[in-house]
Amino acid sequence: MPKRTDIESILVIGSGPIVIGQACEFDYSGAQACKVLREEGYRVILVNSNPATIMTDPELADRTYVEPITAEFIEKIIAKEHPDALLPTLGGQTALNAAVELAMRGALDRFGVEMIGCDVETIQKGEERKLFNECMSELGIATAKSGYAYSVDDARKIVARIGFPVVLRPSYTLGGAGGGIAHNDDELALIVSQGLELSPANEVLVEESIEGWKEFEMEVVRDRAGNGIVVCSIENLDPMGVHTGDSITVAPAQTLSDIEYQRMRTASLAVLEKVGVQTGGSNVQFAVNPDDGRMVIIEMNPRVSRSSALASKATGFPIAKVAARLAVGYTLPEIVNDITGSTSACFEPSIDYCVVKAPRFAFEKFKDSDDTLSTRMKAVGEVMAIGRTFEEALGKALRSLENGRAGLGVDGHVRASETKEGYAGLLARPTCDRIVYVGCALRCGWTAAEIHELTGIDRFFLDRMADIVAVQEALRGVRIDDMDAEAFRIAKRYGLSDVQIAFLTNSTEIVVRTRRKALGVTPAFKTVDTCAAEFESGTAYHYKTYDADESEIGTQNSKADSNGKPKALILGAGPNRIGQGIEFDYCCVHASYALKEAGWETIMVNCNPETVSTDYDTSDKLYFEPLTFEDVMDIIDAERPEGVVATLGGQTPLKLARALEEAGVPLLGTGADAIDLAEDRDRFAALLDGLGIAYPPAGDATTLDDAERVAARIGFPLLVRPSYVLGGRGMAIVYDAAQLRKYMGEAAKISPDHPVYLDKFLESAIEVDLDCVCDGEDVYIGGVMEHIEEAGIHSGDSACCIPPFSLSDALIARFRDIAWRLSLAIGVHGLLNIQFAVKDQNVYVIEANPRASRTVPFVSKATGVPLAKVATRVMAGERLSDIELPPDDLNLGYCAVKEAVLPFGRFPGSDVVLGPEMKSTGEVMGIASAFPAAYAKTQLAISYELPTSGTVFISVADRDKRSIASIARDFARLGFDIVSTGGTAKTLASSGIPCRKVGKVGEGHSSIVDMIADGEIKLMINTPFGHGSRGDGYALRLAAVRYGVTYATTIAAAQALAAAMEVAKNDGLDVVALQDLPRR
Amino acid sequence: MSDLSERMLAATSKPPIKEALLMLEDGTAYRGISCGAEGEAFGEICFNTSLEGYFEVITDPSYAGQIVTMTYPQIGNYGVREDDAQASRPVLRGLVVRDMCYTPSNWRSELSLPEYLEREGVVAIEGIDTRALVRHVRDFGAMRAVISTIDIDRTSLLKKVKASPSIVGINLVQSVSCDEPYSFGFADLVSEKSFALSSAKEVSHRVVAYDCGVKRSILEGLVRVGCEVTVVPWDTPASDVLAMSPDGVFVSNGPGDPDVVAGTYEQVGKLLGELPVFGICMGHQMICKAAGAQIEKLKFGHHGGNHPVVNLLTGRVEITAQNHGFNLVFQSLGPFVSEQSGGNGEHQSDLRYWNEKHAAPLVANKRFGGIRLTHVNLNDGTAEGIAFTDIPAFSVQYHPEANPGPVDSHYLFTAFSRLMDGEKDFLDIDIARDRLEGWRF
Repeated sequence: MPKRTDIESILVIGSGPIVIGQACEFDYSGAQACKVLREEGYRVILVNSNPATIMTDPELADRTYVEPITAEFIEKIIAKEHPDALLPTLGGQTALNAAVELAMRGALDRFGVEMIGCDVETIQKGEERKLFNECMSELGIATAKSGYAYSVDDARKIVARIGFPVVLRPSYTLGGAGGGIAHNDDELALIVSQGLELSPANEVLVEESIEGWKEFEMEVVRDRAGNGIVVCSIENLDPMGVHTGDSITVAPAQTLSDIEYQRMRTASLAVLEKVGVQTGGSNVQFAVNPDDGRMVIIEMNPRVSRSSALASKATGFPIAKVAARLAVGYTLPEIVNDITGSTSACFEPSIDYCVVKAPRFAFEKFKDSDDTLSTRMKAVGEVMAIGRTFEEALGKALRSLENGRAGLGVDGHVRASETKEGYAGLLARPTCDRIVYVGCALRCGWTAAEIHELTGIDRFFLDRMADIVAVQEALRGVRIDDMDAEAFRIAKRYGLSDVQIAFLTNSTEIVVRTRRKALGVTPAFKTVDTCAAEFESGTAYHYKTYDADESEIGTQNSKADSNGKPKALILGAGPNRIGQGIEFDYCCVHASYALKEAGWETIMVNCNPETVSTDYDTSDKLYFEPLTFEDVMDIIDAERPEGVVATLGGQTPLKLARALEEAGVPLLGTGADAIDLAEDRDRFAALLDGLGIAYPPAGDATTLDDAERVAARIGFPLLVRPSYVLGGRGMAIVYDAAQLRKYMGEAAKISPDHPVYLDKFLESAIEVDLDCVCDGEDVYIGGVMEHIEEAGIHSGDSACCIPPFSLSDALIARFRDIAWRLSLAIGVHGLLNIQFAVKDQNVYVIEANPRASRTVPFVSKATGVPLAKVATRVMAGERLSDIELPPDDLNLGYCAVKEAVLPFGRFPGSDVVLGPEMKSTGEVMGIASAFPAAYAKTQLAISYELPTSGTVFISVADRDKRSIASIARDFARLGFDIVSTGGTAKTLASSGIPCRKVGKVGEGHSSIVDMIADGEIKLMINTPFGHGSRGDGYALRLAAVRYGVTYATTIAAAQALAAAMEVAKNDGLDVVALQDLPRR
Repeated sequence: MSDLSERMLAATSKPPIKEALLMLEDGTAYRGISCGAEGEAFGEICFNTSLEGYFEVITDPSYAGQIVTMTYPQIGNYGVREDDAQASRPVLRGLVVRDMCYTPSNWRSELSLPEYLEREGVVAIEGIDTRALVRHVRDFGAMRAVISTIDIDRTSLLKKVKASPSIVGINLVQSVSCDEPYSFGFADLVSEKSFALSSAKEVSHRVVAYDCGVKRSILEGLVRVGCEVTVVPWDTPASDVLAMSPDGVFVSNGPGDPDVVAGTYEQVGKLLGELPVFGICMGHQMICKAAGAQIEKLKFGHHGGNHPVVNLLTGRVEITAQNHGFNLVFQSLGPFVSEQSGGNGEHQSDLRYWNEKHAAPLVANKRFGGIRLTHVNLNDGTAEGIAFTDIPAFSVQYHPEANPGPVDSHYLFTAFSRLMDGEKDFLDIDIARDRLEGWRF
């Protein structure tokens, strides 16, 4: 069956902002789909509110709408574009939910839009537990015993039938949000009540616990002729009870015999058929009782998912690409296997390596929240590693995580417990570090059998880890000079990094590397080819291994490839985490595209399976490898690139820049010394002094006495932070000596051997971001962004607007002038991001980073100038004057707003107040003719709705009392009732604003928390009282997050929100395609 | 091995190191470590790409004469359950793996794979860069090889391997076939597998199965669709079979070169047209030989569990288990009959042509009349199955019994049952529904 000719245009729905449970894997799948559909000649219309995606690049679709993914907005797009079909299966749960709503409200019928790849009935069968369980029972596939609860009492009745512990799953929430395991009545009542709130259907599934069973996932693809294949099987290392997204997983399944595997495969194919998946990719999850093989189906998703991205990267089989082709009518046998280029895509990949995925967490960002892993996903990112054995792949995965570890232990980290017994508790509770504790416990004499009892981790994995530890321990104390080639090979085959070997042999990484190479122990590079080498493959997708009989790339002697093209190696951004997200992958992908266009051969190195950069057809060659010095240097030794791009992947590659340069590796663009000039506080301050550019007074201190002396010199408030930590970790604002004393005590714990930096905090200053490109002579200003939130809130968590909406042209001219002078003085060749603060019309430079910033994709989408590409061309030696660019100082004629998306809902207990430490996971963008409308779009893109009437609760800190009156007046005008506590109520009353006074937390009967819990409050404005407040505000904000109340924690945000709500209320929000924006 | 290396491995799950060498006839050598029985094993080197199912591979009689390389690097993970064996003892010559697991983990496991190999006297080697080996075999074709744990001198081993016999022209079938007829029925099914498999259908047919090295799961597959099976030696005269007056005849899989198994195909030739006949793998080649076909040796064969095969009659694709080094040359069955082939052209060397044309070509065979090409391998366009149009017989080159591998082609057992019932459209079966037959989830 060839492709359909009865449809011409297709609307693709993206997945929106990066949130926990839905990350850039959907940019990967969506970008693939858009490419394929356009190749097939369809007109593609795309909607996605996330500007940091490749899929929203204007070249990828015919019409690109960076708009909220809500039924209202999509309907407006449909009305404008009249697509023939809607493809909802490549944008995660967000797209699926939006599609169902569009269908339900009749929009699809009204405009004659056909849903392809899936239908509403199938989505419901996959998602609604009752329907799903019925389907499974017709197939004879067992499901866990369960029942539905619509109240806590319902839940108790079900538990009376099936017994504790029970798993609780609210219906229709993302990534299992709101779910958990209850072992007793208290936990049951808590989780069920939360879950009922979170579930759009007010429904919680109460299910027999199969905690401790083995967990498997099958990635299945089916076509409309009924052909079905299993692309990949995945086995979880952590047993049932830990969300798959939070679990270390291994592909292929390791511990299933053929009969067990084939039973699971047959069941998976039958499930797709039964649920009615016509075409495309789905995943099916199973639990297996380790004692008797009993198999229970957990769930299925009739769409591509995080695990299908993983399966695609793990096997080389591009699930999303194939799914898109299948959706437009092709069948599997009609599609050629992309990787081999000769065989059929209707097959099941055979792999001859082991793949390990490890999740990346960010609990350090959410103090006070529980870090126990459960059925509710908490990981913010993941890495994937390929090795010939589980041991090799595990070692690589653990050193890819960018958490300071160099593998399974023995890397200089402090032991979590000094005693053997001390590990019992650490093993029993699943946490992000448990894998490391397993290693430690083995080292302390725990047996694999004992660890299995406590963790439920399969003996297969524990025995392999025991072997790794045995090899490590045998090396401990050996002199590096006594290590022979064979010993090196063994260490490497068991996954040890040079850093670990250095630790064990009391040596340094460089010495280990030198000795290893001198002994001739170098890795080989093998190929991911979908077929275990049975057929030849033309795709250069490689991984490193110490199965070194044969390397499939050979060591290159010339810096140019066989076509005579110069080679450029691009270092990717590693795992997503807070502070380092999809924005940097976007920049790396653009670098690859730009270099390819400029005639280079491009080589990508990255270890994040969710990304577009690790798609095998993004660059000429792909190395799926950790971004450590060792792994990167091994690739450089083999490839000998002409230049390495280290400034576009965020902190990860930047950290390597100096070491690479010292090793003689040519960096493209800004050199390591220039990077250091901008990063070293003293050097940078001297540079600014020389240029006559103002910056906030600063000092550093190692003792409290020092700190007090600095405070006396520059005055409170102070922005304080430990040195040598990343992403604003441990950063805080202190207002007085008492707070400073407390802070100095805590900082000593975070970074004991390094000084604390103290900067004058410019209170209520306006912050401004500027991105520019410099070629050494010329500077091109990409964009100037005014922050909504005032200084003191991490730029990554602040909303911002292009162009600045409140700053004078004179000020903007100042920013531009400083950017010019600073770029040239630092010696930037490529991108530079500068953060300014404006206070009393004085401009201060807070910092300058000569690398891609988080805002580059946003700026590019807002202005239409692909800044990362421009920067890459400059880095590769072109002059700005040779690149055709529009003038950089024209008025855009519209406003583009970026807003941060925060994950507080996932971390109960953590305060939601914004501060100098970044906490957001992603961003959305809104475009409109004026600021309020653009801001309104960002709010809709995050929360999907804005309150239009009801009660607003206002309670602000003293310093905000002056500015609150006018905002409150706006809400009153919009028809909201206002309630307030004590001081704020007094302020409002004296300004003549009608307001009802309510009791504070625990004060009287109708406390505000009760009102929030009862759903009486639609909107909350609460600004915190200084640093670390643990008073009322904290409880209020927790309640707001828990009950999904829209809230603002800064005056600026409240003001913007009021304006936005006014526009939204008058429905002044039109949709606009990027391609239709007036371009400068 | 250096002292330090030995110390590093001493506390791991690996036993004390015993070096071994794998030598190919072209002089390519791979150093490794013994992980099975001690000794020296000669055979043709081949590889299998199944991700799981190593034990079924190792016990498959079709691997007689061969040294099998598993492409998945870690083998033995879930141990050995002898109920999964495809024959009473392994007949492959040797096993090559990247990493052998001495501490398996699975609730069904009875012993570890290296324990089993040692007990059964199978020479095995680990620590090999199996991917490099597979690429070598892919590029240079199947060749003779030796694994030795007793002589690791390259020169001496190379000399020995060059002197070892080739499997081409050797009758390996007689070495693995049964000596005496025996019956195989409901009582012979393994009850332990009932955790995953439902019970068999009631007996509806009596079948005689030629044992060219039959896999146990084929006999189980026949029983499960309602056959009472009498297994007979490979060279049983047709007249003996006819005297038993069965409802149908099955010709099994088996090892090696089909050209030298005249003892089977000459008898099969006499049964074709007399009784419904179904053949798998070697059995398929026997039927083709009986019809006068030419069989060619593939460069490195099909061995794995992921080959797509299209059924030209329905357009549906099956993911199949494959294990053969020889293949039917479809053109050799007879002249092309255009009007019976959807009016399309002439013989094609790449049979995927017929999938694109949505046609199943027919040839006129001198001896048996019409023979239709029913199945084609989508990876390389080779013939995978045929059905006779004038007599009740069909056969496939691949393995519907799976074990190991996917069970998409289970419907072929059902088809045989329908063939014996005289159904004209015996191959017209919904494979998705049939695939569920026999499973207990």
